[in-house]
Amino acid sequence: MEQIIQVAVLGIGLGGVFALMGAGLSLVFGVMRIVNLAHPSLIIGGAYLAYWGFRIYGIDPLIMLPVCALVLAATGVLFYKVFFERDAKSATYSEMTVLLTFAIAMIVEGALGAAFSNTQRVTSPSYATDAFFIGNVFIPKGQLYAGITSIVIIGLLAAFLKFSRLGYAIRATTQNREAAALLGVNVNMVGLMSFAIGIGLAGAAGALTSFVFSFFPAKHWEWVAVLMSLVVMGGMGSILGTVVAAFSLSIVAAFVGTWIGSTWSTMTFFLALFLVLLFRPQGLFGEKPELV
Amino acid sequence: MHAKLLTAVVTAAAVASPAIAQDALRIGASLPLTGNFSVSGEKHEQGYSLCVDLINESGGLLGRQVELLVSDNRSDNATAISQYERFINVNGVEAVFGTFSSRLTFPVASILSRNGFVHPVPAGGALRIYTQGYEGIYYLQPNAAEYVGSSLRDLIADRVDEAERPSSVAIVWADDFFANAVAAGLLGQQVMDPADGSLVADLAPGYLVESGLEIVMEERWPEEGFNDWLNLANSIKNSGAELIVGLTASAEEASQLTRALQTVRADPKMVYLSQGTQAEYFEGVGSASNGVLVHTSWHPNAPFEGVLGDAPFTNADFIAAFEEANGFAPDEDSAIPFAVCQTMAQAINATGTTDNQVLDEWLSARTLEDPVRTILGRFAWDETGLPIGKPFLMAQWQNDGELNFVYPLDEFPGTADLVHPKNGWE
Repeated sequence: MEQIIQVAVLGIGLGGVFALMGAGLSLVFGVMRIVNLAHPSLIIGGAYLAYWGFRIYGIDPLIMLPVCALVLAATGVLFYKVFFERDAKSATYSEMTVLLTFAIAMIVEGALGAAFSNTQRVTSPSYATDAFFIGNVFIPKGQLYAGITSIVIIGLLAAFLKFSRLGYAIRATTQNREAAALLGVNVNMVGLMSFAIGIGLAGAAGALTSFVFSFFPAKHWEWVAVLMSLVVMGGMGSILGTVVAAFSLSIVAAFVGTWIGSTWSTMTFFLALFLVLLFRPQGLFGEKPELV
Repeated sequence: MHAKLLTAVVTAAAVASPAIAQDALRIGASLPLTGNFSVSGEKHEQGYSLCVDLINESGGLLGRQVELLVSDNRSDNATAISQYERFINVNGVEAVFGTFSSRLTFPVASILSRNGFVHPVPAGGALRIYTQGYEGIYYLQPNAAEYVGSSLRDLIADRVDEAERPSSVAIVWADDFFANAVAAGLLGQQVMDPADGSLVADLAPGYLVESGLEIVMEERWPEEGFNDWLNLANSIKNSGAELIVGLTASAEEASQLTRALQTVRADPKMVYLSQGTQAEYFEGVGSASNGVLVHTSWHPNAPFEGVLGDAPFTNADFIAAFEEANGFAPDEDSAIPFAVCQTMAQAINATGTTDNQVLDEWLSARTLEDPVRTILGRFAWDETGLPIGKPFLMAQWQNDGELNFVYPLDEFPGTADLVHPKNGWE
């Protein structure tokens, strides 16, 4: 029983980190229909900011988190203006953004490599390799703090979307961009803000991942498929779905890794992606597309 | 875009005038400057570049300046193959330096052999690479990866009191060409030729069994995308193993595994990793590294005396030159490619030509009495291209950041005392 609890705890801890990593991706797709393959590379950017804040000034990555979020949000505004705004009305916008964000991911990787070298980094606050022990069950402090922070941020995001005026506009645009525009919503501004928030979440996730995983510029290729599987399983554009998928798949992967083998734990995410696309392509919380 | 994402051309500093550039001796190297192997790929580029710069400063090779062409293969096999073909058929290189990792070296070896090029390999230790019958392939590390485990076996036998020796082992490894090869030797597996399924080597009973160890856990993790380190470490801890063997494919994985073992408070007597000599490993794990054993091909204190150009060039010279050029200390990922470059330079100087057939004949004729001399020591090769009579060095992290060599005992003076048993992770 202890073993089952232990594995579940580890799965939950990993799920908390993945939830925030995937939330921004989901938001950007929901509002802008941008399949942002560059999202994980921007998470790495946030991780580097947290790393250097810790390395040079000794600032805890949890304290650096707002800085990382703001810097990446500003980067998101810049990217949106330069790369995404012009073609937002194109009928093939989503398809175009797949290629565009793939290119951006490579540019970001190259820029990070030039700025910080390709050496792997990890921030090492004392809690990153420490754990609480309850009997024989341990709760890793790093994942616990990262998971709690993720949940708080996602909760704040949910409250913002539900209760703020801009949140209303974002939700309206997510549901029907044309109808929202007809009702007076400045969909371009909503797109800009959503993109900035989404990329800001990448920055926040970067601060957390900086002490949970080691990272280097090319690391994002390992994350993109995992994050895509979370977003697709949750339902493209559903932040709640992404969170549910992150926790459930991480827990399942932890059990698979323990009782079947580590080789198969990563496969869990891709198997889930395959099954969802096969049997419920709209994902757990997505809406079934209507035939026109 | 960052230059390394384009086909990068790193030109030696001394190549200044068009006249010299036209007559430059071109050498090509495809390296993983981006992608999963980028950490080591970048360091390989630094090692190659430093060597070429030093050669050019001392007058070049055969009176010609050397131009190093480096392309980023993005850690991708197909790209590495096409880049070497381009070097040979388009860029007109006269020699090549090898790439990083067994996975990339395996297909590249076929291309270079087919084109009659000497293939000096900095990192590509899987035995299967050397049993394909390729001409002109020369490995610049002590031995094939399958035989790395013999150093661990011998270290336990020679340096650990019988009463203090670990009795059980958990072996975990990346599903990677190199790590699989090391695991095969430790576990005593059969190595098969991927081309025809024939037996390359039967490594039974394996170095772990030969050390009297009971294998209580065997686990492999996927080559890419693995994040569940704490779960893996927890399983290792629960196995109760007194020796943990972690065959990581990169320093990054070594760091992740060590941090996870520290977090779950695993309590082994001994930890051996296949990667982790790099400064970044210590930066990532800090004092948890104390007592961790790593095999290595190079050590800063090793008093090896090589040759560069026609002049002696010691390991200490290399460290000084590297630090002056880069502002930080080198590790083996830069030292090994430097030795590759030294090897080719000696062959070209000795034969007075860049005819690869002649270079191959000269290199294959090296003996332990008349070897190639590098900052990794002396090299002579058997008919497969594997070095003769070179043991791996076993190093151990000690005293919060010192990487001291602890085995073998008689290779050169200065072997440090072995810290055993490992005393926790703090």
